[in-house]
Parts: sequence; structure tokens; C-alpha cells
Amino acid sequence: MTTVSTSSVSTEVSDIDRSAHCSLSFLIASSLAWLVIGGVLSLINLIQLHTPAFLADCAWLTYGHTQALQETALIYGWAVNGGLAVGLWFLARLGGAPLRGGNYISIGAVFWNLGLTAALVGIACGEMTSFSLLQLPRFIQPLMLVAFGAMAAPGVLAWTGRRKEATYATQWYVVGALFLFPWFFSVAQVMLLFVPVRGVLQTVLASWYAQNVYSLLLAPLAVAVLYYLLPKIKGKVIPSYDFAIYGFWSLLLFGTWMAGRTLVGGPVPAWIPTMAIVASSLVLFHHIILFVNLREVFSPAGSLALKFAGFGFAAYLINGVVDAFFSSRVLAAVTQFTYFQTAQHQLVLAAFSLSIFAAIYYLAPRIVGAAWPSSSLARAHYMASIIGFTVLICALAIAGWRQGVALNNPELNFTAIAGITRPWLLVATAAQGLLVVGNLALGIHFVRLMLTKSTAESLAKFNQPSALEASS
Amino acid sequence: MKNGFLFFFGLFFVLALSWAGLVLGTQAQMGDLSPHYDDLEGKSFPERASGLASRGQLVYQDLGCAACHTQQVRRPEYGSDKERNWGSRQSVARDYVQQARPLLGSSRIGPDLANFGMRAKEDGVDAASLLVSLYNGSEGMPAYRFLFEERKIIGESSPKGLQGVAAPGYELVPTERAETLVAYLLSLKQTYEFSEARPFEPVHANEGAHE
Repeated sequence: MTTVSTSSVSTEVSDIDRSAHCSLSFLIASSLAWLVIGGVLSLINLIQLHTPAFLADCAWLTYGHTQALQETALIYGWAVNGGLAVGLWFLARLGGAPLRGGNYISIGAVFWNLGLTAALVGIACGEMTSFSLLQLPRFIQPLMLVAFGAMAAPGVLAWTGRRKEATYATQWYVVGALFLFPWFFSVAQVMLLFVPVRGVLQTVLASWYAQNVYSLLLAPLAVAVLYYLLPKIKGKVIPSYDFAIYGFWSLLLFGTWMAGRTLVGGPVPAWIPTMAIVASSLVLFHHIILFVNLREVFSPAGSLALKFAGFGFAAYLINGVVDAFFSSRVLAAVTQFTYFQTAQHQLVLAAFSLSIFAAIYYLAPRIVGAAWPSSSLARAHYMASIIGFTVLICALAIAGWRQGVALNNPELNFTAIAGITRPWLLVATAAQGLLVVGNLALGIHFVRLMLTKSTAESLAKFNQPSALEASS
Repeated sequence: MKNGFLFFFGLFFVLALSWAGLVLGTQAQMGDLSPHYDDLEGKSFPERASGLASRGQLVYQDLGCAACHTQQVRRPEYGSDKERNWGSRQSVARDYVQQARPLLGSSRIGPDLANFGMRAKEDGVDAASLLVSLYNGSEGMPAYRFLFEERKIIGESSPKGLQGVAAPGYELVPTERAETLVAYLLSLKQTYEFSEARPFEPVHANEGAHE
């Protein structure tokens, strides 16, 4: 196991990047498109929370529909496309060989995104499954599984065909996510939709799936970015790297058992939430190792990519602690069934999104072969993301806590509870609006990057290390 | 990590472990749960939903009602479920064995509906008045106008039309979706006293000493 060393600027763009140009650009472009679409749907969803009459006459956009639509667009559109683009590029780079099977990535990505479009139309027509984070209509799910397999296979090829025998933490995390997602996605499809299990076992299985999306898909991809970018940009060896392997297996081993934390007090065997409480404390072992390994992310030294990564890492660590505390029965009695859980979901999404933004700022110029054209657009996106996510999560958490306290007071009816949460939901809506603006800035910036011509001037600019990641 | 086979085996095994523990463990514990046959009443509980109500459950699912409403009464020490009259006892796994897809929900932006049918009966809410509140919205719930058809009265008015809501000369007729949804909502109840649903009462050490 070796730590990657910094490469000199002259070798910044290699055959490896050229092999990935087409397929990975398409993945990034579609991920950014879904990010904006999901953000707008999320905005509509938040407006409906404090103004229920908003679009109420539109049968396609009831609150239940916009909830499922935004969640599906962000997880399966933004997270999967963006995570795969970043993960596959890391695997090719660290494997030291050009990406093989790039056509499979492109074909898989086309079908994945067509399938997702059909899925969103299906949800708007009321075809969602009503399982949280698995709302994709039944008819589209097998296609999505095959499309994901086509996109992930070149990643596994890059792992098995790597030129260096030793592997690095980033590779474990990416390969883990690529291999495990089809595993639990297919199990959930069969056992929930095609040969459904009976009664509340469906609920247990659905929560197992949703937790795996967090712990085995989003979390590993975010961590992979941090392990890659920190030594690359700083040019330093990761401290106490020998522990990284324990951090990896502890996430996989304990993370997936946290499934029952949303089922506290419900009609399921009581040991399921108990296991979740134990697991969410044990998984902190993973967070401690990450902190020991990666704490230098918090001193970005002018690198925009590392600034994003730093905030992403902070969100990741905070999420671990919040999960451990708020899975306890005493606190869950207040936060269960409230906006607090929405805030926790947003925290996971923030940790993931900010890390992937960092990776996109770092790798997009290398894939395209040109420098980011505008540092002001990058700065605008950075400010909007940081302020947007912080305010959104805090406002939802406060709204959720107050909602939970009010729900536990039988004197207060639902009109009164809506009045209590309304100011905070308005703040959250504004924050989500800001996030959409920021993500739009990134989308426009990426389009401009793609249109940049390789003139002598842009090449000269590109050869300055700072230009490669839009330093501010 | 040089051994590729061991790595992939480890990945597979880690997830298989949690799947076996959570899913097969629950299946082993309650997979053979069946409705309880009551000799005195001469029928099984929970009762199978009527055809109309089963179709209504699909409407409930399609509209995404579960995004705001739960259908589970928590154990006595959790929250104000009992004080809010959402149920006289906690929900248990047996309450859901007859449902093709239990919609337990995970968010309480509106009230819990596990015993909505029972509450409606107590409060004297019938299908007609429930349809009116579905049309007008209530207590923060948006109005679901697209579940109704507004049409001009030609000749005799429809007997299904909502009373006292439509403009003069017009009538508001609930669609089939609205009717089945209301039938479903009014069918929701978890009132049968299963033995496992009784609250746990600790046995004191001095009790039983005289027996």
C-alpha cells in the first residue's frame, strides 16, 4: 500500500484521461443536469410544506409526488452519475492504465438516464413504490440495474487490470460502492417488488436498502474523493495511513446495520432498532480513523477543491455524531417522523455533494483538457453551496425539533404545529433556492469549460497548476 | 490489500451478514405470523380489506399520502400517540399481515391514520363529509380538487354529488378514485386486542408470594 505522489504539471493530462473523455464528460454533464432538476423539485417540495395550496390542483405534483421526485432525481440522477464519473476516473488513474470498456460506460449511462427520465414520469403519474429512497417505479428497475452493471463493469476491469499491484484507499472505497450497489439493489427489487415478502418485513427490508444507499453507496464515494484529493493537492503523505484499512471495513461492517434507526417504537421486533443504536455508535470508529487520516483537509491553503472537500468532510463527521446521538430512544422519541430526519438526509447529501464538487473541480479540466474559464462562477458556486447547505440543514433541524416537541404535546393540533414550524421552513426554502442558484452556476461553468477551445492562450493558462482547479 | 479474491469475498460477506441478520432474522421470528381466529366472533383478525378498500389503498399509495401520514401507533412510552387518540394500543406486526404493501410511513406532517376508520365512526364522520373535507382541504392538508368532477346539472342531479359545495346550477361529483380512497380511509382500524399488543406490565417480586 503506497500513498500516491503528486505528478508534475507536464504529465497532468495523460492517455488515461483521453480514454475517459467522452464517457466521463457525459456522466458529469448528466449528473449536473439532474442536480439542477432535483434542486428545483426539492424547492417545490419545500414550498408545499409551508404553503400546502402551492400546485395543489396539479395531480402530477402533489406533495407526495414532489417528495419522491426530488429524492429520486438527486440520488439516482445526481449522486449515481456524479459518483460514477469521479469513481471511474480515480480507478483509471490509480490503476495506471487507460480506461477499458469506455463504450459500456457510455451505453450504460444513456440507458440509465433514459430509464431515470421514464421513472420520474412514472412517479408523477403515481407509479412510485412508496419505499423511501427506492421510489423508482417497478417497471423500470430491472433496466436500471443492467444499466448500472454496464457502467460499473469497466471500474472492476480497471481494478483487476491495474498496473500496480498495491492498492490505495480510494480504490477500495470506489470498488466497494460499485460492487455492493447492484448487490443490495437487486435484492431489494426481488424481495420488495417482484416476489414481495409479507407484512412489516417489507418495512425492515426497505429501511435496510435505504441505509445501504447512505452507508454503502454515498459514503464510500465521498470518502474516496477525500483520500484521493488530499495527498494529490497537498503533496504530503497521509498520517497514520496504516489504519485506513480498518476505517474501510468498519464502515462496511457496521454502517449497514444502522437500518432500524427509523423504526424505533414501531411494529417491528424491538431488537432491530437496538442493533441500529449499537451500530451507529460502533461506526464512529470509522469516523475517528478518517479524522486521524484526513484532518489536513481542514487547512485548504487556497485550493478551492480542498475547501469544498473540507466542508464535505465536516458534514460527514457531524453526520456520524448526529446519527450516533439521535438514534437513541430518548431523542428519537422527539425527532422520529419529523423534519429532523429530513435534515439528517440533507446532511448526508451535503457531505456527498460537497466532496463530489471538489472532485469535479479537480478532474474536469484534466478530462476536457482546458482550464476552468471563470473563477468568479466557481466562487459563487462555493459561497452558495456552503451557505445554502448550512442554513438549510440548521433550519430543518430546528423546525424538526420544534415539530417533535409540539407533536408530543397532545394539546397542540396540526394547524398549531404548522404555525410553529412555518418560519423555519421559510428559511429552509430560501436556502434551497440559493443552492439551486449555486448549482446552476456550476452547470453553466461546466458547459463553458466544455466549449473552451484549446488555443495557445488557454493551453498556457492550463499549464499553471493553479488553473487546474479554479483556485480562488 | 493484494488478494483480490479475499477483497471481493469480504465485500460480499459483509453485506450478506447484515441481510441475513436483519431480513432472515425477522423472517425467522415472524414469517409464520397468521391472522388470529376468534372463536367467539367466528372470524379472523385482522380482517381482510374489502375490494373497494383495497383499490383505495392503491389510490392512497399513488397520491403519496404516506409522505405526510403514518399508519403506526408506537409503544406506550413514545410520544403522545395514545393521548391524541390515534389508537388505544400499539400497532403490532400482525396488524399488517393481510396488506399487500404496508404503508407505515415515516413522517407525521399530518395525523396518524392507523385507526382513522374507528375515529371517524366515533366523531360521526361519514363518507359524504369526508369527501367534502377532501375537496376543501382541512387543517393544513391541501385540497384534492382533481379527485372531483365539476359539471353542469342537466336534468336530474347526481345522487353522489357533494352537498352544499358546488356553485348553483353545477354539481361536484367524486371520481371513482375519491370514492375508493374514502372507503379505504374509513376501513382503517387496529382495534382487535391481540395478546402481543397488550402493554407490558412488570410483575412485582412480592406478587405471587401468596399463591
